[in-house]
Amino acid sequence: MNTRMNRLVPLAWLFVAFFAAACGGGGSSSGPPPPPAAKFSNATLAGQYALSMTGTELCAGQASIFSRAGSFIADGNGHIVGGLEDINVCTGVQTLSFTGGQYSVGPDGRGSISLTNNTGTTTYSIALSTATQGFIGQTDANTTASGSFQRQNPAAFANAAINGGYVFDFKGAEVAGTAVNVASIVGRFDADGGGNVSNGLFDSNIAGTLSGQQTFLPGSFYKVDSNSDGSAFGRGTAHIAGQDFAFYIVDATRVKFIGTGFPSVFIGEAFTQQNIAFNVASLSGSYAFSIDGTSSSGPIAAAGRFTADGGGNVTNIVADENNNGGVALLPNGTLTGTYTVDANQLGGGTLTWTDSKAGTSSFIFYLVSPTQAVFQETDSQIVSDGSFSAQTTSSISTAALAGDYVFGWNGISPDPEDFIGQLTLTSSGTFSGFMDLNEFTSGKQFFDIPVKGSLALIGDGTQANTFKVDAQTTPPSTFNFTVYVVNENTLLLVGVDTNRLVIGTMRRQP
Amino acid sequence: MKHNIRKTIGSAALAVAILLPSASGAQQRNATVSSRPIAYDVARETIIRGVVISYTEDSSEPPMGAHVAVQTGSATVDVHLGPAAYLRSNHFSLSAGDPVRFVGVSISTKKGNVFLARLVQNGKQALALRSPNGFLLAATAARALPQAAGTQNVQKGAPR
Repeated sequence: MNTRMNRLVPLAWLFVAFFAAACGGGGSSSGPPPPPAAKFSNATLAGQYALSMTGTELCAGQASIFSRAGSFIADGNGHIVGGLEDINVCTGVQTLSFTGGQYSVGPDGRGSISLTNNTGTTTYSIALSTATQGFIGQTDANTTASGSFQRQNPAAFANAAINGGYVFDFKGAEVAGTAVNVASIVGRFDADGGGNVSNGLFDSNIAGTLSGQQTFLPGSFYKVDSNSDGSAFGRGTAHIAGQDFAFYIVDATRVKFIGTGFPSVFIGEAFTQQNIAFNVASLSGSYAFSIDGTSSSGPIAAAGRFTADGGGNVTNIVADENNNGGVALLPNGTLTGTYTVDANQLGGGTLTWTDSKAGTSSFIFYLVSPTQAVFQETDSQIVSDGSFSAQTTSSISTAALAGDYVFGWNGISPDPEDFIGQLTLTSSGTFSGFMDLNEFTSGKQFFDIPVKGSLALIGDGTQANTFKVDAQTTPPSTFNFTVYVVNENTLLLVGVDTNRLVIGTMRRQP
Repeated sequence: MKHNIRKTIGSAALAVAILLPSASGAQQRNATVSSRPIAYDVARETIIRGVVISYTEDSSEPPMGAHVAVQTGSATVDVHLGPAAYLRSNHFSLSAGDPVRFVGVSISTKKGNVFLARLVQNGKQALALRSPNGFLLAATAARALPQAAGTQNVQKGAPR
């Protein structure tokens, strides 16, 4: 078990507390002002949470993709008092009960969790953006992964709660015989509150082979568990988009899915789709995006922004793409784009832009609402997916962005690694904080690594901004990112170093 | 209105799905494929033979991963092999002077041409690095192992 679990308070905060006490002196009745009240503690993490993540495990001596999704109960006092998870690992699919565990949350929202099942104990770093959600990364030797967790609403643990339209995004690998193909599936369906689905549509990209938009086959369904274990944790099973899944309900608006069609492996989420008749005008205004997956060169990730005119045209396209160390920036030449929204009004559509020097990038999307969508790249030999969200229309300043943020990043350098951390951004754009890092190939985990750096906004801040991170690893590491601001609460990052590929998100803390 | 539309579409889709015995549902919208210069185009696969000049486990030149410089009859070719850990886990090594053979595709990067190897052969030892479609196998290959073999090779006692 990870020894870090024994630390009830992160070392960094012990240092701060000690330093504050040492500088406080004595004999003065006025003294220094007391430190600000801690925003987070063990009491913050209380209740039932759904988690999902994907990453890399050691299998037969090789790196191998795996996924896990589940639910855990935190008692607000440092103990995990129950839970359930589904894992899809190289030896198969299992449903495991949590028989115990511990956790600690520091004043900055960072912390750790251990989850015990009948195979042993797995350990994780966490970073809470609020009491109801955060980033999570597995920190065991020979296993690294990252994802997110959200507080569950047990009132939604029933078929009846899953009712209406949902948009989904799954990624992973499809295995057929000895062929293993990277895969992405995005789409939408209507749930009837009784376990039946209709109007199911999806687009798959299996190793670069595009399905085009397909309908669900008859027999698709979802079913919230009715047995004593699953029903208590919002678990269920489903067959949608041609795949078998287990799922965990966060609430009626969000469901976490894990593929159970071993040896294929998928992970993803579904979100409630706004109940409107979507058309070309539904996509209007500025959007920021991030997308990641695999190309024939290796891992690929991109972030950027574009403006849709509500009439089928996109302009002001800016993007940074890191294709396994090969960095490309758009625009390079003259950049123009178009989009369509499906005539069936169910929110699907296409998006294409062409740079006169860099070529064409094509995507399909499914709108969650006019302000949010999942999308999938459809270019030859690229399997990637992500999301785009309405971007703030007002200018962004570092003063407006100043505050506390948590982050979850993942990537390669060139072997898999995951990062969970927290930082404080000042109004001048400088920042400092701490992060945990799990390196797969070295089998090493690093905790409480100090990070510092600066954010430099370009223009009005809604375009490509630079974000440089100096991490006090051994030896020291520098990460160069481009940051796209969604709004004052959410920033999308893509690494632009040629020796490392990192993609991730930063979310503001209260 | 939307629900009526959905019912109509749903009924039509169901009818089409029943009529078609295919494993997947009816296609609603064709996908547009555009080719990028970085793409691995199977139709452009070639074979190169040569002698290893040098092997770099963690190249500073993209794509990230192991590269090998190969002297062919006419030129030196930069060959990308993917993560070095995958080579090590398959007990595959390359050293200067080794006679080698590669199947793959040459792509253009900002810093010149790179040959993306799908298959590598060193003497009698051969290893698949990429899938037939050109995607690296490093992160996914273990998924195709027989379940029992995977079980035997997972770390003993490792918690899941």
